[in-house]
Amino acid sequence: MAERSFAKEVLKLRAGDGDVFRGEGILAITKALLQSGVAYVGGYQGAPISHLMDVLNDAQDILGELGVHFEANGSEATAAAMLSASINYPLRGAVTWKSTVGTNVASDALSNLASSGVTGGALVIVGEDYGEGSSIMQERSYAFAMKAQMWLLDPRPNLPSIVDMIEKGFELSEASNTPVFYMMRIRGCHVTGEFIASDNRAPEYSALNPVAPTREPEKIILPPNVYEQEREKIAQRWPAALEYIQKNKLNEWFDGKHATLGIITCGGTYNTVIRALERQGLADCYGNSDIPIYVMNVAYPVVPDEVVRFCQGKEHVLLLEEGQPAYIEPEINTILRKRDLQTKVYGKDLMPHAGEYTGHVTLLGITRFLETADNPAIECRFSSSDVNAMETPLQDDEQQALLKNVPPRPSGLCTGCPERPLFSAIKQLQPELGPFHISSDIGCHSFATLPPFNLGNTIMGYGLSLASSSGVRSALPHKAISIMGDGGFWHNGLTTGVASAVFNEHDGLLIIINNGYSAATGGQDIPSMVEPNSLIATTMDVAKSERDDSVSIEQACRGAGVQWIRTISTYDIERMKATLREALNSKLPGLKVIVAEGECMLNRQRRIRPLMNKAIADGKRTVKARFYVDDNTCTGDHACIRISGCPSLTIKDNPDPLREDPVSYVDNSCVGCGVCGSNAHSAVLCPSFSRVDVVHNPSAMDRILWKLRQRVLGWLQARSTDQHSRAA
Amino acid sequence: MAGAPSTINIVAAALGGQGGGVFTNWLIDVAQANDWAVQTTSLAGVAQRTGATIYYIEMIPKTDQQAVMSLFPSQGDIDIAICSEIAEAGRMLQRGFITADRTTLVTSTNRVFSIIEKIGLADSTIDPDEILDLAQRYAKQFVGMDMQAIADKNKSVISAVMLGALAGSGALPFSQQSFADAIKASGKGVDASLAAFNAAFKVAAEGQESTTDTTEENEASTAELPNVDGFPLGDFPAAAQPLIALGIERTRNYQDADYAHLYLDKLKTISGLDNGDKDYELTQLTARYLALWMCFEDVPRVAQLKLREQRLEEVRREVGATSDQIFYVTEYFAPRVEEMCAVMPAKLGAGVMNSALGKTVLGWFTGGKKLRTNTVSVNLALRFLAWLRKFRRDSLGYQHEHRMIDAWLTAIVDAAPGNPELACELARCGRLVKGYGDTRHRTSQQLLAIVEAVNQQSITTAEKVSELREAALADDSNQQFQAALKP
Repeated sequence: MAERSFAKEVLKLRAGDGDVFRGEGILAITKALLQSGVAYVGGYQGAPISHLMDVLNDAQDILGELGVHFEANGSEATAAAMLSASINYPLRGAVTWKSTVGTNVASDALSNLASSGVTGGALVIVGEDYGEGSSIMQERSYAFAMKAQMWLLDPRPNLPSIVDMIEKGFELSEASNTPVFYMMRIRGCHVTGEFIASDNRAPEYSALNPVAPTREPEKIILPPNVYEQEREKIAQRWPAALEYIQKNKLNEWFDGKHATLGIITCGGTYNTVIRALERQGLADCYGNSDIPIYVMNVAYPVVPDEVVRFCQGKEHVLLLEEGQPAYIEPEINTILRKRDLQTKVYGKDLMPHAGEYTGHVTLLGITRFLETADNPAIECRFSSSDVNAMETPLQDDEQQALLKNVPPRPSGLCTGCPERPLFSAIKQLQPELGPFHISSDIGCHSFATLPPFNLGNTIMGYGLSLASSSGVRSALPHKAISIMGDGGFWHNGLTTGVASAVFNEHDGLLIIINNGYSAATGGQDIPSMVEPNSLIATTMDVAKSERDDSVSIEQACRGAGVQWIRTISTYDIERMKATLREALNSKLPGLKVIVAEGECMLNRQRRIRPLMNKAIADGKRTVKARFYVDDNTCTGDHACIRISGCPSLTIKDNPDPLREDPVSYVDNSCVGCGVCGSNAHSAVLCPSFSRVDVVHNPSAMDRILWKLRQRVLGWLQARSTDQHSRAA
Repeated sequence: MAGAPSTINIVAAALGGQGGGVFTNWLIDVAQANDWAVQTTSLAGVAQRTGATIYYIEMIPKTDQQAVMSLFPSQGDIDIAICSEIAEAGRMLQRGFITADRTTLVTSTNRVFSIIEKIGLADSTIDPDEILDLAQRYAKQFVGMDMQAIADKNKSVISAVMLGALAGSGALPFSQQSFADAIKASGKGVDASLAAFNAAFKVAAEGQESTTDTTEENEASTAELPNVDGFPLGDFPAAAQPLIALGIERTRNYQDADYAHLYLDKLKTISGLDNGDKDYELTQLTARYLALWMCFEDVPRVAQLKLREQRLEEVRREVGATSDQIFYVTEYFAPRVEEMCAVMPAKLGAGVMNSALGKTVLGWFTGGKKLRTNTVSVNLALRFLAWLRKFRRDSLGYQHEHRMIDAWLTAIVDAAPGNPELACELARCGRLVKGYGDTRHRTSQQLLAIVEAVNQQSITTAEKVSELREAALADDSNQQFQAALKP
């Protein structure tokens, strides 16, 4: 059950010939796949393509009707290996993942796939997580395309182009027997727009019409085949690709009156180029430009004849290629040199090596290009110093004022997150047993490396925390600590981490956070599901988990040879502290594993909120819990926040006119998970926290007790007020 | 290509979970209903959990040519910026998205505190007025309102208010009706959303400025002064009287009238030495922190506060329970042996603290307790604990606290004649003393360490005391303080 349901959007996938399809880029890709007669799809979730997986997941009905096979793959490597279906058979297949991280994981299978070559079109839709909004290290997928010889499509970011390029991508793949990367940038994935749909096409072969198994021994990647495959890449597949690209005009030309100048851009950055030219008065908002533009919707391979044709008669050409190192720029220079063309090519000398080509960066680069070209017929609206000045209209002292008053907002764990109490426990233990070196992992728990927890030293990749502790463990004063999510565990932590650690007699501690979902990527299901946690103070805790075929992390670890395993609810902070202490002080040899359980609160709330509301509407006794800070006893030290960071635990002005520091305050978004109360207990903070249980549809007993208590308490209160006034 | 048509460019800055996506979808519907082409994009991913998110929207009237719209908000190219929180408006300014020649800034003036502001040991909140001032100066048109308050008042969410504020600003050429239609078409919580939308529209259209009320500061205003008849308030400088009246009321409520007189006696020594600078700053500072310190939160005090008459009504209001709804309040107490000994007669308490057996026995009653306040048994137990304050003056805790208070006051008295600034800084250090358990211990020890250093003359200047106070508030590990304390 993913975080966002696409049930409504999925209906749009049924659009037929001539219908106007409106929606997000990611949804358009799904529709384009169905229109292209895709036979199988798969992938692994991760921003910015998580929604593609979610849409496919929610579209099972439609996929089933067409006979399209879908798998939510265990990892990107699984997804890439799935493409081997296209080696022997005319089956079109598409898989998707976050890149470059997913591409790295998938690389073994991709290299072999690229060597064997494909019969059916094979597309890898990579969500290029680069630039603003990215959550990973900054690299590009281009190098991988080059070294494995897979083509790389980078379409213009508008829905018609995005859709058209999917169909063309399959054809290109089939025409050149080569798997193809289809690159979507972050903003492109989330761009909205419209295109004219066509009918969905059922694949020729599927469960409804199976293929006849055939063997093509020359496609197996064993010597001597591999030598022939490498030769074939150069001698046949490459020229075939160039021919298809040119014949079908995958790259685009836009003429302009200033014919001695030109701009070469990848498809993904085209819109930004047009906007920059428009702002300089050299284009209109419909893309009619005074400067000729060559748009490489195919970023790899570069088509030499097209480059030569574009550059002929041009004195100055600007190339826009994001990221570093530059791949296209040396290629174009080589092409021009070999054809003896004297066109001057500008690239990374005018544009930044690192970082995204945002609107501002592109405007500045194009302005500098035009100033360098110094064409007397062109008058820019803004000089490069004007553009530089646009970066901020503010004076220095005003910038300083903003620096002081605009606080950073680092990502953090959600309200009620089951991972919070684990990190509270670790932070509370640190003065006693620390300071800790912690090998962290990919997932929501990565946020523990940020304030207020500041726990964690390195992140090496998804499911790699335990593996990454294996070197440093020998040099630490405490047992090595690794923290991994259940998502990372199933992705590859079980093998690269647990199995390897057991084999090497690693005696450190692995904490596996089991929240039942791949939470950080949007709450997708994973092999292990947790039972709803009874420690959360609501009446609906008894609701059963949805899947009963869940696989236990504990059993998997035992199977891999782990002897010392404890499974603990994260919300039980005291017990968690005691168990952590036991693991870190243990003299027993071998890996210690703590499975820290607690259901992802976002998913949990989505699951139980309708149930609670229904229970209340049905007149059933229901208790809704939330927490409360007594602002009379809170002294405004905020120690509770420093070991929590819960979004619901915030501050407000101190109501006491004598006190000046803001008091802690629980706002109405509290879900009653109880962590702030447990923290107040286990860290011995203060007597300000209380849980308030509001009873809906009280029973007769509730009412009788309530009335009785009210009466006695009222009498006691009156009596003491009386005494007080007499005393005064 | 002068005079050519161009897009209207809009950035929307919201915080994760505030419904920026919903807002954007409404805007798409409005544009399409008016036959405009519209393109939006956003940065989702993990940033949406609690971080700041930006949505970017471009739109242009439809023609037979397809417009090429940018996916990036660009400095100097923004027509409308809409922000759900004032610090986010600051971020838009910082990024250069607000320019005087074209940007309409529609912003909420309320605060959502960032974790960085929340984790401070004292007050680490930013000053929204500085942002507001810059925002008003740099925007071509400024529309500010407390969107959260409007949302709360209409039992709706901030996204509906954002839409209303944008519609009311007149920055987009669409009718109020077409915005409202988009909300109606979304079919979820329509009535509440429409009410919030209309309220915000009205505020924006009628040009009302920010509704943040800056006069309501933590100043002790004379209007609500407690009745302190019978106490010699007139002996003190007028400027300090409001604070002192509060101090009298607080100490009397804490113990009795005699205790309030003790407060005044102690304060008198200080005010007698005050040279009157800055409205009798020294007296004011001491009046404030002395009252708070003398009302230290021991077990009887906490019990007394938990029993206060209005408390359950405060809770009821806060959790939004109706007047006839049943609710239970479960307190989280975690008394330590130290707190228990503090209420014992001084000799006994000290004896137990030094006795392993005594501590073990008391240990059975310490640790985390969850107590339901609004049950008769717990209420009676709390009443017993509160009643113990009768014996407070003989308790170990009282004697301990008053020894520290006197050491602090003596240092102020010693400094005041020769170095009034130093005296003021010492008085200001009273702010350090707060918290419970280990926190309380750490903060009062820090204050004593400062007093000790001044007594030893290893610290002689106001600046150094101020520096130490800042160091004490910089982290809760005591490390920066210890480093600053080293000569």
